[in-house]
Amino acid sequence: MIHQQADVIVIGGGPAGLAAAVSAKETGAKRVVIIERNTWLGGILPQCIHDGFGVEELGESLTGPEYAERYISRATQLNIETMTETMVLEFTKDLEIIAVNKKGIYLIQAGAIVLAMGCREKTRWHALIPGTRPSGIYTAGVAQGLINLYNIMPGNNVVILGSGDVGLIMARRLTFEGAKVQGVIEILPYASGLPRNVVQCLDDYGIPLFLNHTVVEIGGHERLSHVLVAQVDEHRNMIPGTEKKIPCDTLLLSLGLIPENELTAAVGIALDPTTQGPVVNQDYETSLRGVYSCGNSLQVYDTVDVLASHAQKAGHCAAAFSQGRSNTFKFEKNVCAGKGVTYVVPQKITTYGSIKLTLRAKKPGKKQQLHVKNGETLLFTKKLPYVNPANMIQVTFSLANTMHLSKKDIEVSLQ
Amino acid sequence: MRTPTTEHIYMTLFYSSAMKNFQVAIIGGGVIGSSLAWELSHYNISTIVFEQGSDVASGTSKANSGVLHSGINSPPSSLKALYCIQGNKLFRSLAGILGFLVQWRGKYVIAKNEEEVEELVRLKKVGEQNKVPGLQIIDSKSVKKKEPHVSCHSALWVPTAGIILPYECTIAFAENAVLNGVKVLLETAVKNIKRNDHGFDIVTSQGIYHSEIVVNATGLNSRTIVAMLEEPDFDIYPCRGEYLVLDKNCNNMVHSMIYPVPVKNLGVLGVHVTPTIEGNILLGPSAEFISDPYDTSTSKQMMQVLFKEAKEIIPSLPDSSIINAYSGIRCKLASKQSGGWADYRIQESTAIPGFIHLLGIESPGLTAAPAIAQEVRTMISKYISLKKKKKFMVKKRRLRRFAEMSREEQQQLIKKDERWGRIICRCETVTEAEVAEAIANPLGATTLSAIKYRCRAGMGRCQGGFCTQHIVRLLQKEAKKDIKHLNLKSPQSHLFSGNIREENHDTSTS
Amino acid sequence: MTSRKKITCILCPIGCKIVVQSNGKTAKILEGNKCKKGIEYAYHEALDPKRMLTSSVKVIHGEWPLVSVKSSKPVPKKYLFDILNDIKQTSIKAPITIGQIIIKNAGKHDISIIATRNVKKVQTE
Repeated sequence: MIHQQADVIVIGGGPAGLAAAVSAKETGAKRVVIIERNTWLGGILPQCIHDGFGVEELGESLTGPEYAERYISRATQLNIETMTETMVLEFTKDLEIIAVNKKGIYLIQAGAIVLAMGCREKTRWHALIPGTRPSGIYTAGVAQGLINLYNIMPGNNVVILGSGDVGLIMARRLTFEGAKVQGVIEILPYASGLPRNVVQCLDDYGIPLFLNHTVVEIGGHERLSHVLVAQVDEHRNMIPGTEKKIPCDTLLLSLGLIPENELTAAVGIALDPTTQGPVVNQDYETSLRGVYSCGNSLQVYDTVDVLASHAQKAGHCAAAFSQGRSNTFKFEKNVCAGKGVTYVVPQKITTYGSIKLTLRAKKPGKKQQLHVKNGETLLFTKKLPYVNPANMIQVTFSLANTMHLSKKDIEVSLQ
Repeated sequence: MRTPTTEHIYMTLFYSSAMKNFQVAIIGGGVIGSSLAWELSHYNISTIVFEQGSDVASGTSKANSGVLHSGINSPPSSLKALYCIQGNKLFRSLAGILGFLVQWRGKYVIAKNEEEVEELVRLKKVGEQNKVPGLQIIDSKSVKKKEPHVSCHSALWVPTAGIILPYECTIAFAENAVLNGVKVLLETAVKNIKRNDHGFDIVTSQGIYHSEIVVNATGLNSRTIVAMLEEPDFDIYPCRGEYLVLDKNCNNMVHSMIYPVPVKNLGVLGVHVTPTIEGNILLGPSAEFISDPYDTSTSKQMMQVLFKEAKEIIPSLPDSSIINAYSGIRCKLASKQSGGWADYRIQESTAIPGFIHLLGIESPGLTAAPAIAQEVRTMISKYISLKKKKKFMVKKRRLRRFAEMSREEQQQLIKKDERWGRIICRCETVTEAEVAEAIANPLGATTLSAIKYRCRAGMGRCQGGFCTQHIVRLLQKEAKKDIKHLNLKSPQSHLFSGNIREENHDTSTS
Repeated sequence: MTSRKKITCILCPIGCKIVVQSNGKTAKILEGNKCKKGIEYAYHEALDPKRMLTSSVKVIHGEWPLVSVKSSKPVPKKYLFDILNDIKQTSIKAPITIGQIIIKNAGKHDISIIATRNVKKVQTE
């Protein structure tokens, strides 16, 4: 076995891992190593050949691979080491990482660890779609990779379930490559992806969007031959009699993402059941000191720009920890999702200063008032003209050290 | 009658020169056909197996509960009881010989209330008549000690019930049979059978073969095969069983199998809770008589019923624990109206010598398989002198995967072959070496499912989200498969329609 | 010929549906916008809608079979499929660098197709 040491180990070389590693190195950590399971860096970005990345952060609308290359070049400049085709098998409470690649088993003692494993896609069974089990059913991300990385066309007559951005992007991609996209099926009364994508991926090509609909059955003996689509009511229950058969040979599932936290759970780090990511404080530190979380494995982000800024903070704090300079906890306050809010990250605040929160609304609404309260004390308030669960809300406020915090939790609410 | 010596010379001359002539032809590569193939491979006879699917165990043999039954559920002196008990014993040594996993977890048949205890007593009696050892009726406190999550009034403890991976043992039987000279033809359907002077002409989708003996081990298709030569005196009644698969994080909820008392009410399934060797939990099966023997679809209704009933046995079952659903179809010989129970029919045709039928091999079919194989071997020995091979090979399936080895063992493997260091399936920690071995299987099965069942890649939480791209890449490279011919699990289940940019180009720039 | 079109503005999450009247040469915003930016967007969208085009080009002797590409500037919608056809007919030898021009004058329009990924060369068999 190969024994090594590193100041900061970043697990995952996607946009979060890259941003965290760059930031850790810039903060002064000496040996920063990115461990990445694929042969390439950039995570999911190289297959996201569409543009729209980096608009806020870099002022340019880059394609996924171009955005990734910015960070990859910077990482190279900074002499950040990368171990590709390497899988982390586990890490211990003492921050020792066990990883494997073709050279052997590595035992690397880390000064600090950044978790940036990304997420996996929800499968057919998350929606429990009954019917037969033919070939031709793919999650949208897998189909995207097959087409853009491997030059493989999944099929020619496509139905897409889920109107998240990946599903919308794939509707256009498949159309460009000669497939017929019969429609995008969305169970909610609104599209969950950006309006820009609804226009540029569906409207532009006359691809219908079926809101308040879902796939209730899959058919086809060996290869998919059709799906049964039906309307749903406001409780998302199928309305009997509205079933419609749509012949197709490919079903793409864009049902949502699940943060990957197998490694995190295995070592006993506390997870938030709503975000399915670790419970973190404002430094993105988890319940295990020295272990930080960022990117889609912390929470599912909408844009890479916001993801990168948080990852930079995580990397910075990880580096500081590895140098023995981390913030001591002044106090530990829980941040809870109150009325109208599904979740808030971070879930804990342990110091005074400028606090950045991200949260999601429970349902769409206009003219909402956001409150951040500690008991009766109002820490922050803001008027939001328009909220939507699909758009992450960002809030920055200052927690002054003169402020007296009650025993109660901090609650974030929308009404 | 030829003496054994001259007969042996005659057979060697006759069969070695012709690749289409066999002494025994087995139709059907499920667990029954495969265990028979393995049994016969011990002897100096030539055997061929025709399987219409793209792999062995591609039908009901892979879509069942994976249970090795004790024998308490079959009437004493029935063939089902006889072969179940013999098979249960045989599996105890087979696991070690062939290297597949069996765990003797035992079963609790639970009574919800006082009334159902009668049924436990009846089952215990039947079991004792069938000479099933160790049966004990115990109270709910004793059950709770071993199974804290299970609610019941009392239970019958059945220690000799076990769990197995049905596809794994079928693959072990079939691949070892091939290793010892049995020919297995996948994607080969039998279209017609005719008699000839020496036995049979078998017309298949891959050409015409000849054999002295034909064994019909086709399960759901058995009537079609019989009808090729004689008028069938039976019907097959397909009866579908749906299952739910629960996430591994539920695996500590039960240790043994939990079966409610067999139910009298219509509409109530009596859902079984079966832990699997890999750490999942199976709920099911349902029992639905259907007309199409290939309709393995699942239904929302049934999924809800299965889960609801399971929650009555294990109240703390989390709602989000379902990761998969599937169904398998039983080849029943008795209709719903007649009560749905019939014994096995393992018999040579009275009109056509050498035409052996294995009919109605439903539960406890998996358990009975090796015992049925021995019975059929005995039937065949009437026609063909069976001499045991002097040189018999066994390739044990690897009992421990990379994921289960110590770090030192893993390090040593990687040193020998760097492919052990490349993880292809993240969820189950399956390495490229294991995938490559699965691709190079002796049956030549190269569907995605064939790989999945041999090395477990794709069976985890992400259900192939990460590994599919790598397995496809390896199938193209190692098995030299064109992507248009890559299938999921059966001959027409193609995965892709082609490339988006064709491989050969006329116009090129720079 | 004057026509009325409903255009969904994409500049912010509200996604106003703006009604535009246009004769192909000039356009007039009738109703639907909540801000000034929307007017400009709807105006251009009605008269000369353009889209950034991204796709893939076949690679020869590369570590990847395809290289992702983008148009050098937004492409008028009516030319999209012309240019896509050009892209489908083209192949390029590795090595390829980000920013490298793969096709000049794609579809016979003044638009280039540029590589958005580095692709290394691999040894041929």
